[in-house]
Amino acid sequence: MRVEQALRLLPDLEALVPLRGLLLASARPDERLQWGSGGPYLTVGKHAVEPGELTRQMAPVLGMVTEHIGALYQAYVAALEAQERGEPTAAVTALLDAGRLEERARRLEQASAWYEVALTVAEGLTDRRPEVETLLALGNVCLAHGWYAEGARHYQRALVLAEAEFDQAGAIDACVGLGGVALERAEWAGAQAWYARALRLVETGGDRLRMGRIAHQLGLLARRQGDLAGAGEHLRRARESLEALAAGREMAQVLDAQGQLDAALGRDAAAAAGYREALAWLRRGGRDVELDVTIRLHLAELLLESGRTLEAEEEMRRAEQVAIASNLAHRLVQIYALLGKLRGRQNDETGFVFFEQAIELCRTLGRPPVEEARVYHEYGLFRGRFGGAGGAGGAGRDEARAYLERAREIFQSLGVEAEVERVRAELQDLSA
Amino acid sequence: MTRGVSHSAHEPSSASHAPSPAGRGAQGGAVAGALRVLAVGSEGTGAGAVQSLREWAADLGVELECAADLPRATRLLAGGRWDVVLAVLGERSDEDLTWWMDTLRAAPGPPRLVALAERPSMGLVLRAEKLGVLDLLTMPLRREDVAHALNSVRSAVTEIPVPLPSVEANAVGQYALVGQSAAMLDVYKLLARVAHSSATVLIQGESGTGKEVVARSIHQHGTATAGPFVAVNCAAIPENLLESELFGHEKGAFTGAVARKIGRFEQASGGTLFLDEVADMSLSLQAKILRAVQEREIERVGGTDTLPVTVRVIAATNRDLREAITQGKFREDLYYRLAVVVINLPRLVERGDDLLLLISHFVQQFGQRSGKRITAISDRALDLLRNRQWVGNVRELRNVMERAVILANDAALRTEHLPEDIRGEEANLPERAQGALATLAELEARHIARVLAHTGGQIGAAAEILGIHRNTLTRKMKEYGL
Repeated sequence: MRVEQALRLLPDLEALVPLRGLLLASARPDERLQWGSGGPYLTVGKHAVEPGELTRQMAPVLGMVTEHIGALYQAYVAALEAQERGEPTAAVTALLDAGRLEERARRLEQASAWYEVALTVAEGLTDRRPEVETLLALGNVCLAHGWYAEGARHYQRALVLAEAEFDQAGAIDACVGLGGVALERAEWAGAQAWYARALRLVETGGDRLRMGRIAHQLGLLARRQGDLAGAGEHLRRARESLEALAAGREMAQVLDAQGQLDAALGRDAAAAAGYREALAWLRRGGRDVELDVTIRLHLAELLLESGRTLEAEEEMRRAEQVAIASNLAHRLVQIYALLGKLRGRQNDETGFVFFEQAIELCRTLGRPPVEEARVYHEYGLFRGRFGGAGGAGGAGRDEARAYLERAREIFQSLGVEAEVERVRAELQDLSA
Repeated sequence: MTRGVSHSAHEPSSASHAPSPAGRGAQGGAVAGALRVLAVGSEGTGAGAVQSLREWAADLGVELECAADLPRATRLLAGGRWDVVLAVLGERSDEDLTWWMDTLRAAPGPPRLVALAERPSMGLVLRAEKLGVLDLLTMPLRREDVAHALNSVRSAVTEIPVPLPSVEANAVGQYALVGQSAAMLDVYKLLARVAHSSATVLIQGESGTGKEVVARSIHQHGTATAGPFVAVNCAAIPENLLESELFGHEKGAFTGAVARKIGRFEQASGGTLFLDEVADMSLSLQAKILRAVQEREIERVGGTDTLPVTVRVIAATNRDLREAITQGKFREDLYYRLAVVVINLPRLVERGDDLLLLISHFVQQFGQRSGKRITAISDRALDLLRNRQWVGNVRELRNVMERAVILANDAALRTEHLPEDIRGEEANLPERAQGALATLAELEARHIARVLAHTGGQIGAAAEILGIHRNTLTRKMKEYGL
């Protein structure tokens, strides 16, 4: 049985989410399909599920689920006991711990719910630092989920409180968070101001790790603004700060950003070397499969843009394997959108199956709307390529328009004006 | 594959026969020069091994550079060409091995990997073999083992170029029928007879045997050649979308039907509709296809109008449809509608010298695309390709050749341009010295690993192929560390 058939037998219940993940991770591509004419279009939906294999792999997953729920229950009991002892600060800590557990399990909405409860307790305290910590945690979840307005509100409040409490680390993190929100919403001046403020604060304390992280963010900002020389300078500083600390994960992030910068400058070999070194730092500095997949996809994009489609596809398929094996099914959304884009470049209309699979995964896995919007956007561009193909006449163009409209609506609801403008321009091109 | 216990040393006869790939001549002949070896220590372990290598470097005829960690190693790899990377595997040796092969694949050359592990399990040995690792050595490192591994790199550059024959392809655009084997001549004869009729054709053959190429050829040489050729891959399209893809839909017919869509039947009007992997269709959709083929009319999903369609249908499958009928998975009436004429395509391994013709054809095709003129393939590379089972038939060969042409930097393709899993088979070439004889347990473990690789790790399917109970297989997997 195939995954797409197996999923139809699985009701959409929260308790079954781990089983859904296991189903995807345990399924294997059928070698016959791999080499068949459908092979180039193979997605996880076409992988074969073997009930026996699922049963075999179920025990460790159930163990992890039990452990996770047990840890949440314990955190709750710890919060209760702390309240009974009259130690609300400890209660906040316990509730924050529970939220972080949920975050690590990539359950952002659940994490947010724990943080909201923690906030109600923290707001009653005379010491405001637990409230700052909670607001920062909430801001981070909102930023990751694409709830930018709400995230900004939490960070703003955290900043005010941190400054009043002379909590410098809290103030720096709030400024970085606000910069992050502004960056996502393409509010360049705002992002610049927040990062500059964070940098001023951190320079007084000499915290090299935070300094490196902020320089990295400034590098990202400068690149998105089109200031490539400035971006290079910021990333060089970030690297200087982080390399000395041997901060593997952060170094990988900076080198990944450097790779994207080199790609934008047309220095393909340097970009590829940057990505490879980023993967090496990651391998050396601890496991972060999410970041590993991100870097691989950037490498694949580089190969795609330079016309090396075979190698690009190999890299995308490798990222797919890593994502499936590591139970990161949500990353398949981006991977399939990129595979669809690759097929579009090859003028292969059947590539639409990747976008359909990506949309299906967005629905199945409850992905943030911003991610869904990106898929619709890329799907619209793909359909636009084939607007007049195969006698379909304007029908392909109608479909392209419909997908771009959908992307625009979602971006608009999230307040991502730069993306709204970009899609609007593409819609106009389509009508022309 | 592991050494360090009872192997005799195979020293190179002379360091002057040790060329660096960077300095290879146009035909891949030997050029004097030391092998460039990059040794990478794993922090905390392997320091002793790297130190030993430093001491032996001159004697082994290698130009050795050492990198203390992975980031430094990747910088060195990006900065020049290396013949061999000697890497110490860490605690997660299995993952390390995969990481290294992945990294080296993208490096210039690409260099071969010699991996060093403290106590390699049988599973790691088999994995190394599957990935095409040149050698997996145990620590503490022995000079003769390193010499043996490096010697095999040296022997690889003594490959003799074999000129590629010129190929006359029966080309249809970017698609081409290549081959002169008896099996393919039978196909050509049948194709010529059927092209001028309007009969429905069923093309059968394993994956990658060229069913779509044959279908295009029938269209090209048939009466509907002025019309479109529209291909639908029934295996690629999700079941829930296939109906609307084939018959089209009206706007709003279902969630996601954002605009009216013209289906492939309508698009193919006046031409040929190629239904690839037709056995992958659900029974209900088979009934609708039957109606379309019989009545020559269709209805769009969510539509009320009946639309006439004039198309020649060619279907293809890699499955045994008669077996599918017996199992109730394929409609018998549809089978007889589609199988008016049946063309069976041979497997690549049954096509004898067509392999060399196909290699030549693909080399020419991809060479033109990348602006490279490749005129030969080495004897060793050809032997490796001839020894392969080609599960994916011509499609798999095409992929291998595309990749090889990308990697080639002179007029000949050599083993170094082939994928790691094919290079990994070098040890099985008949003329190659085998070293110590394998034990029965080693052979069993290797075979199990191969079958598991074939089934994509599915234990049930592997047990069926091996003819043993799945519990027995699970026990053996545990025993061999697979």
